[in-house]
Amino acid sequence: MMVTAHHHTLEIRDLSVRAGGVEILSGIHADIRCGEVTALVGPNGAGKTTLLLAILGLVRYTGEIRFCRAAEHGEGAPRIGYVPQRLDFDRNAPMTVLDFLALSSQRYPVVFGHSARSKRSARETLARVGVDHLISRPLGKLSGGELQRILLALALRDDPDILLLDEPVSGADLSGEGLFCEFLGQIHSESRFSLLLVSHDLSVVGRHADRVICLNRRIICQGATTEMLTPENLEAMYGSGAHLVSHGPADGRGHLHPPAAGGGEDRRD
Amino acid sequence: MEPLLDFLFSAMGRVLPFGFAEPLFMKRAILAMLFIAPAAAAVGVPLVHFRMAFFSDAIGHSAFTGVAIGVLLGVHPLLTMVAFGLFVAWAITRVKGRTELSPDTVIGVFFSTVIALGVAIISAQKGLTRNLQAYLYGDLLAVSGTELLWMGALLIAVGAYLFLTFNRIMLLGVHEGFARSMGVPVQALEVSFALVVALVVTTAIRAVGILLVTALLVVPAAAARNVARGAVSAFWVAIAIAVVSGLSGIAASYYLDTATGATVVLFAAALFAATAMHKVVFRR
Repeated sequence: MMVTAHHHTLEIRDLSVRAGGVEILSGIHADIRCGEVTALVGPNGAGKTTLLLAILGLVRYTGEIRFCRAAEHGEGAPRIGYVPQRLDFDRNAPMTVLDFLALSSQRYPVVFGHSARSKRSARETLARVGVDHLISRPLGKLSGGELQRILLALALRDDPDILLLDEPVSGADLSGEGLFCEFLGQIHSESRFSLLLVSHDLSVVGRHADRVICLNRRIICQGATTEMLTPENLEAMYGSGAHLVSHGPADGRGHLHPPAAGGGEDRRD
Repeated sequence: MEPLLDFLFSAMGRVLPFGFAEPLFMKRAILAMLFIAPAAAAVGVPLVHFRMAFFSDAIGHSAFTGVAIGVLLGVHPLLTMVAFGLFVAWAITRVKGRTELSPDTVIGVFFSTVIALGVAIISAQKGLTRNLQAYLYGDLLAVSGTELLWMGALLIAVGAYLFLTFNRIMLLGVHEGFARSMGVPVQALEVSFALVVALVVTTAIRAVGILLVTALLVVPAAAARNVARGAVSAFWVAIAIAVVSGLSGIAASYYLDTATGATVVLFAAALFAATAMHKVVFRR
C-alpha cells in the first residue's frame, strides 16, 4: 500500500441502487484514494458495473458520492475517465477510428473533415497504446481488445482524476492483464489518478491492486489486497467451493475458480 | 418574405429549364423538397446510428392524432400536428429513461395508444376522413408560401442544431456511459434530438405523408451506409441521395401522374437497392 498523502478521495457513503423493485446495491461505503489501484471483485450480477455507472451519474442512487480534493490541487468537479467493458454500437456504422477520435477532439462536425489538430491528436493517442496502424480502420471491425485500448487511450488523454476500468470480456487477443501491464501500470505510476478496476481475474488483482473491494450487492469486505483475498472472503462472495488455483511459478497468486465453472483453467466470464 | 420566394422561383427557372418545373405549383413543390429532403436525411444519419427508425415512425403516426385533435378543436391541423408530435417525442424519451422496458416496447405502447386515440376522435367526427387524405399521403403540390418559409427555416434550424451537436450525438450513439465520461450532456442531447426529429418528421409529412415519412429520414442514411466507409462520406452521400431522389421523384410524378411523395420514396428505395448491389459486387 502507498503511504503518500492523498490529494483527492472519492467517498462513497451509504450508496444504494434500486431498479425494478430489486436492490442491486445496498449500503455501499467505500473510499477510493488518489494514486491507488482499487480492484472491484465479485461474481456476475454483483453490481460491479452498476457501481461504476453510479459514480458516472448514469443510474439513480440514494446515498452520497463525494469527491474531496485538497485545495492546492485545484477545484471543481473531478474528471472521471471510463473504459466500458464493450461498446454497444452498431458494428456496421460507417465510422473510422479517426472519425471516432475526432468526435471528442474537434468542435465542428466530423462530416466537414478532420482538423489538422485532431488528426495529430489521434495519431498521438493511438501511438501511446501502440495501435497507430488502426487509424483508418472502421471502428466496427476492431477486436474487443483493440477497441478497449483505444478507449483507454482516450480516457487518459484528458488527464482524469479517477479512471474507471471495466474488465475486458473477451481477453482472447489482449487480456486485461496485458492491457494493464504494458501500459496502464506505467502511466499510473507517472500520473496520480485513482484507478477503480473491475476484474474477474484475481491474478491481475493480486499483482496490481493496492486495495480490494469485494462486492456482492453489498460490500463483503474491503481492505489491503493481501489481507482480502482469503478463502473465507472468496467463499462469502462466490459461494462454497471457490478456491484459488495458482498458475506457473508459485507466487501465491492465482485465478479464481468459481464452483460452477468446471471448465478449463483459463476460462473467464 | 414573399419577394425572397419570388427570387428563388426565378432562379430555379434558370437552373431547372425543364417542362415539369414551369408551373408555379411545381416550383413550390421542388423548393419544398429541396428544404425538406436534406433536413430529413441529415437528421436521419444520427437517427440510424441510434437505431431510432421505429421512434420516427411512431412520431409520424402521432401526426394522425395531432391532425384529428386540430380539427376537433377548430385549430389549424398543422399546428396541433407539430405540437402533438413534439409532445409524444418528449413523453417517449422521458418514459424510456425511467423504465426497465426496452425502447422498442415503450415506443410500441405509445404508438398504439396514440393511433387508438386518433381513430376514436375521427370515428366520432363524421366528415373528418376527407381532411386526412392530404396528411396520409402527403400533398406536396399544394404547399403554401407560408409553409415553404417554415420549411426553409426548419432546414436552417436543423443545420445549426446538428452543427453544434453532431459530434456529441454520434459519441452518445457509440456508448452512453463512455460519452458521459467524455463530458457529453447525455439527457439534454437525448431530449433535444428527439424534439428535432419530431419537428422534422411532422414537417416532412406535408411532403410525403404519414405513411411514408420515416422513409425520408431512414432510406438515404441506410443507402449511404452501403457505400460509405467513414463519417464524412456517409453524411454527404445520404444528403445527395435525398436530393436526387427528391427531384427525380417530383419530375417522374409530374409525367406519370403518380402521388409525389410515393414516387420520391420509390426513387430513394431504388437508390438503396443500387447501393446494396454495389456493396455485394465490391464486397470489402
